[in-house]
Amino acid sequence: MHKTLLGYVPDQSPIYAIHPFVKVYFLLIVSLFPLFITAPEWNFFIMLFTLALMWYSRVDVKILRIYAPMAISMGFIILLSYTVLGGVHPEYRLLTKPLGIPIYWERIRDATVVYFRILPMIATMVFFLSTSRERDVIVAMRSVKIPFVITYVFAMALRSAGMVLEDFGIVRQAEQARGFDPAGKSLAYKIRKYIMYMVPLFALSLRRTEEFTNALIARGYAFTGKASKVKRADYVLTHYTFRALDGVLVGIITITFIAILVLRYGFGYFGLDDSWFIIWAQSAL
Amino acid sequence: MSAVIEIKDYTWRYLYSPNPALENINLTVHQGEFIGIIGPNGSGKTTLAYSLNGLIPGQYHGIKQGGIKVLGKDVESYPTGALQKSVGVVFSDPEAQFTTMTVEDELVFGMENLGMSIPEIRERLEWVVELTDLSPLMLKPPYEISGGQKQRVALAAVLAMRPPIMVLDEPTSMLDPISRRRIFEVLAKLKREQRNTIIVIEHSLENLVPLADRMVLLHNSHLLLEGETRQFFEQMDLLLEKGLFPPGIMQFFHYLKQQGRYDGYLPVTVAEAAEKLTSLLEPAQEGKQ
Amino acid sequence: MTSPFIEVKHLVYRYPDGTLALDDINLTIDEGEMITFIGQNGSGKTTFSKCLNGLFKPTGGDVIVDGHNSKTTPIVEMVRRVGYVFQNPDHQLFNSTCWDEIAYGPRNIQLAEEEVKERVEEAAHVVGLDKSYFKEHPFFLPKGLRQRVAIASILALRPRVIIVDEPTTGQDAQQSREIMDFLVELNEEHGHAIIIITHDMPIVARYAKRVVALGRGHILADGPTAEVFSHPEILAQTFIEPPQITQLAQRTQDQGFSPGTLTVEEMIAQYQQLTRT
Repeated sequence: MHKTLLGYVPDQSPIYAIHPFVKVYFLLIVSLFPLFITAPEWNFFIMLFTLALMWYSRVDVKILRIYAPMAISMGFIILLSYTVLGGVHPEYRLLTKPLGIPIYWERIRDATVVYFRILPMIATMVFFLSTSRERDVIVAMRSVKIPFVITYVFAMALRSAGMVLEDFGIVRQAEQARGFDPAGKSLAYKIRKYIMYMVPLFALSLRRTEEFTNALIARGYAFTGKASKVKRADYVLTHYTFRALDGVLVGIITITFIAILVLRYGFGYFGLDDSWFIIWAQSAL
Repeated sequence: MSAVIEIKDYTWRYLYSPNPALENINLTVHQGEFIGIIGPNGSGKTTLAYSLNGLIPGQYHGIKQGGIKVLGKDVESYPTGALQKSVGVVFSDPEAQFTTMTVEDELVFGMENLGMSIPEIRERLEWVVELTDLSPLMLKPPYEISGGQKQRVALAAVLAMRPPIMVLDEPTSMLDPISRRRIFEVLAKLKREQRNTIIVIEHSLENLVPLADRMVLLHNSHLLLEGETRQFFEQMDLLLEKGLFPPGIMQFFHYLKQQGRYDGYLPVTVAEAAEKLTSLLEPAQEGKQ
Repeated sequence: MTSPFIEVKHLVYRYPDGTLALDDINLTIDEGEMITFIGQNGSGKTTFSKCLNGLFKPTGGDVIVDGHNSKTTPIVEMVRRVGYVFQNPDHQLFNSTCWDEIAYGPRNIQLAEEEVKERVEEAAHVVGLDKSYFKEHPFFLPKGLRQRVAIASILALRPRVIIVDEPTTGQDAQQSREIMDFLVELNEEHGHAIIIITHDMPIVARYAKRVVALGRGHILADGPTAEVFSHPEILAQTFIEPPQITQLAQRTQDQGFSPGTLTVEEMIAQYQQLTRT
């Protein structure tokens, strides 16, 4: 098993054949698709497609279970904020009026559209995080010649996040070893206790900053810019080759994106009016 | 042999600290020497290491007297980033010195900073990974591996830069005994092959002593004792009084010496000690028969 | 015969990624013992110790502490019996004063404030933490004192067994001995069973009464220190070698030295015996 940002990928997976740049490109471009697609069924299809890719990459799909409650509660919040908290709109079609609160068809429709736009965005994010490692992000950035300093600052941020998470795990164990048991306690209590974690995490970071700076200097990295004008070899990139398949995938993603734009704005596809889901829902309600 | 490090009347006091961390230190280190520095915590060992690679006075505020020359040049006269090519430091806390996301990146980082080419990097990477036995860990994040593995990575990262002078600040404190011995075997190899100058700060003396040409005792910011390793440990009572515990075999032979049962150098390895003890006892046992 | 305080039966532990960390471990620990766990980095010492106080639940087999099975007992009940001192004090100090720090555990197990006070004072007294430190922020204390506060905060739970993870790492020889002398005092005068996880073989030789050597998830050796150190070939499997003085005695066995010699003092005593005419 290989640890990724979010979980594990088995030793054998087709995902390893893909250049990290393609993964990042997929995340950045495909998560834009829903912004140009209004029809919920198309967005739903993008989500299914992304989940299918996850399954194909042999990610343990069970991790999706932890997102199910989140997705459901998010759906409710969106629905409530559009309907109950949506205000009075005499121009809309009134469906029902329980407890004096007007519920309009257009509001339900808009909530559905927003919700189905968010789902595929989350799916692409989860797909990326569960198939990529920190290093993939760095390699992707370096392979498109983003200046080393930017990549490096980004990498340090990721690295310190990794360290903080590691510390967080130990601190939590240390709390448990002192008889702390959050089970069955109120949310306010838990939040208060979570704040306590910050103390040791902060202390550890402070103590490490100094040594971290020392380590950078000892490794010949100077912030002044003089010594860093050295041409860097980017050794790690030699592990990754951008193959024909990668080019094809980038091409497919790009063409799909352009196609969506053209179909949306040139020919009016993916709109509300020809969405069979919306038409069906309108007649059903 | 030419002097690679010359420390002359060196005193350093950190700003806001009432007492100097190092006071009036004089020490000359020659090309290819292996020096062991010992002393209780807080005696100034780490400050000395920092002073050798320019972290002091570069990164810390304080008051300095006297001077340190590395390869004939004053530490301050090196441009930023240049001294570190000559002096590599392995810090005692490996946790904080990792700057990248995988062990491999960690090893490569310093070499990239030196502007080495990809084939050079690859060759050295293979060498250092083989030497420190790190190949199974190459793709792991350095903060997820165990303490001992971290120390091996920290050492390897500096080794890969092949600095002519290496300063190791407690490089094996988290290692099990055999991994610890292996690190010292690596150092022994370097000492033989590369003519590196190596300075090791350690609490655990058993592995350090057989390798060290010379030992230095720091105590309360002062250089209290310095000398060729075997002669250094002749001052057994002083060392014990200062809370340092020389290797057991040396303590044992020191006792024999005090009892007048043995005269000669204190042994530095178990093999040497066993041989000497055997030859001491043989006549006695023959006499009994 | 009374049943042992901790009983480990066929313990198996797997990490979340599926790696087997402990494989069929069987061990008993009695009250008042002084044990060290030794083994190479990654041999499972720390994982095993965390199974003993319920931080890790067994994947298979059982850990029974004072009649409580760790699988079914809430962590609160486990940590009252087995305390765990982490290696780095910075991971385990979360409160803004030393007093609150030591009181944190007793409050978690919901003791009355009077009892909490009593326990804090007792624990601080045992570790030698002066009352003047009670109002100090633990973050600003020197490392040695932070470690003492960390130990006190575990002592306040009055566990019968205390596990200390690498107490001497990064300490000089003098400091190491001070810490160990203190742990021996806890063991001998206050009756706590002490389990020390360490790599420091001279420390093991000098202080441990019983040694458990772990390697690749198994117990390789378990017995009195002198006996375990007499088998360097077993220790080598887990990257441990005895201290040099023991190695010297083993190499001169033919001259009459005992392979279980642990300290310079013992070596000298044997030498005097052997050369007495």
